[in-house]
Amino acid sequence: MEIAVLVKPVPDAETRLRPDAKGLALDPEGVKWVLAGYDESAVEQALLLKEAAPGTTVRAISYGPVARAEEVLRSALALGCDAATSLEAPPEAPTDAVSVARALALALTKHPASLVLCGKQAGDDEGGIVGPAVAELLGLPDLGVATNVRWDGGPGGLTMERSVEGGLEQGRTALPALVALQQAWNDPRTAKLPNILKSRKAPIERIPAAEVAAAMAPSAATAPRRLGFRLPPPRTGAKMIEYKTPEEAAEKLVRILREEAKVFP
Amino acid sequence: MTGVLVLLERHAGAIAAASCEAVGVARSIANGGPVVGLLVGPGGAAGATGLGVDRVLLAESPNLDHPSGAQLAVLLAAAADAASSTTIVVPGTARGRDLVGRVAVRWNASAATNVTEVATSGSGALRVTRPVFGGRATEELELPGPRQVLALKPHAFSPPATSPAPTPVEPLALPEGLAKAPALDVRGFQPTVGGKGPELGDASIVVSGGRGVGTPEKFQVVEDLAEAFGAAVGASRAVTDAGWRPASYQVGQTGKAVSPQLYIAVGISGAIQHIVGMVSSRVIVAINSDPQAPIFRVADYGIAGDLFAIVPALTQAVRAARSH
Ligand SMILES: Cc1cc2nc3c(=O)[nH]c(=O)nc-3n(C[C@H](O)[C@H](O)[C@H](O)COP(=O)(O)OP(=O)(O)OC[C@H]3O[C@@H](n4cnc5c(N)ncnc54)[C@H](O)[C@@H]3O)c2cc1C
Repeated sequence: MEIAVLVKPVPDAETRLRPDAKGLALDPEGVKWVLAGYDESAVEQALLLKEAAPGTTVRAISYGPVARAEEVLRSALALGCDAATSLEAPPEAPTDAVSVARALALALTKHPASLVLCGKQAGDDEGGIVGPAVAELLGLPDLGVATNVRWDGGPGGLTMERSVEGGLEQGRTALPALVALQQAWNDPRTAKLPNILKSRKAPIERIPAAEVAAAMAPSAATAPRRLGFRLPPPRTGAKMIEYKTPEEAAEKLVRILREEAKVFP
Repeated sequence: MTGVLVLLERHAGAIAAASCEAVGVARSIANGGPVVGLLVGPGGAAGATGLGVDRVLLAESPNLDHPSGAQLAVLLAAAADAASSTTIVVPGTARGRDLVGRVAVRWNASAATNVTEVATSGSGALRVTRPVFGGRATEELELPGPRQVLALKPHAFSPPATSPAPTPVEPLALPEGLAKAPALDVRGFQPTVGGKGPELGDASIVVSGGRGVGTPEKFQVVEDLAEAFGAAVGASRAVTDAGWRPASYQVGQTGKAVSPQLYIAVGISGAIQHIVGMVSSRVIVAINSDPQAPIFRVADYGIAGDLFAIVPALTQAVRAARSH
């Protein structure tokens, strides 16, 4: 089976967020770009399926400015992916989800996969749009918020659990399909040093910007325009409730929740 | 005049709270235009009256029992065209959000998820605000017209008042593309373990306990408080890693992200990995014996004290307040 994993470079979780000079986006100065947490789960899922079904190959695919995309592709290779494709962002580097989905679909047309895995969302924009949009573009069924994906060896059977409102749904789909993974349910492995070193020299296929731009063009008119990127006003710290007895503390809090915060009927 | 279509999602026969919130948003951006609801699947139009939509389109077919994203996208696009809607609003549920990318492609619409504010702006565009980076920042976007599809962040909007007026229901002619859209093959459903109260991601009040609670048995004090509030129960990773409560309780970077109206952290220190999962809650209360605990820096209200004294007293006070 051929598996494709879609991976996105996102700012490291420790990044101190700061708007750029125009106040429109995150200031990229000094940001370390890493594999998105949800995508780590997708890579882990791909590797688990590969280990269970010998002969399976896993290709990681990423879109973005070359240096960023190739950084996370090397992480994916170091973890055990077999091949990598980088979609070079055009100069104006559109980041809206549907345009990005069109770029990823281009790579998937060149390298058809029977299973496309991705994270249910990325840790930066938390959109969750790219995966289902890729599925719609390629005419694939898609299943979101999935965990425990298992393959029975034939084209008929991929089973999984999905965490939806109220519980876990057990679902099944024929291949080809796209599955978007819930984060961190599978305890992603970390790369071993020799593999990290090997991944530094591994070849990465590059799809040039001009070709990517042509694939993205149809959604230029619908792309959202960014008007602002803001940090919330700093939290000033809790208003501490003064009390002599626990009962007094409890009564004061209930009154505040009711009258001041209005979160309690 | 712009019409707005809302997907009415049903859970166990009742319209999901998230869909009611979507109706309110639809009304606020419709500028007097019609707000039309789409109901899918067997079960008739049950629950559709009183929601505040002008009419309901009903897509009924036995094989829409567990509609897939692909099928719902076909139905939404067809219903929006039938109702001359220019915007589709879907509830911020797991299933609802999964539709946005598909509808954006199929219906050639501008899209945003996790929306917390929305307003119309000139020439058919919408301005939306949405949290990013786990609520540590927000972005504002303009979604160009003529078509948009939005998923809302749960609890970010209040549902409109219900109206007793009967809602006209019309069948939606099932579009041709429906047969080609892959169906979802659902084989079973396992309700969340241990959850007596509302679902963690869905609840408007969440009470979470941390390592400070001490033992799995004593975690009951947290559950009693949650029950008094009618709240969902959450936990820090210290609690789930120790096996005191199942992993499905975990709030944070590697657990669930929640944004209820009220989040109460009991015996939780406030590690950054926990904070990112709850910081976008509207009001945060912390109860911790250490007045220097970092959780007090993100909380709105704090009680410094022994949780085993404070929490039972609070449970009593909440019960008393609710019985009046
Ligand atoms: C990669 C990674 C991912 C992680 N993901 C998550 C995540 O998703 N969610 C998460 O929660 N954590 C996560 N963590 C763990 C996180 O760093 C903290 O270790 C964890 O949140 C601590 O849990 P706690 O606050 O319950 O425990 P502690 O930090 O031990 O805090 C216990 C608190 O209880 C208070 N206390 C003790 N006794 C009492 C009493 N009698 N009355 C009142 N207060 C009392 C103490 O003052 C203390 O503040 C992650 C860590 C890593 C490295």
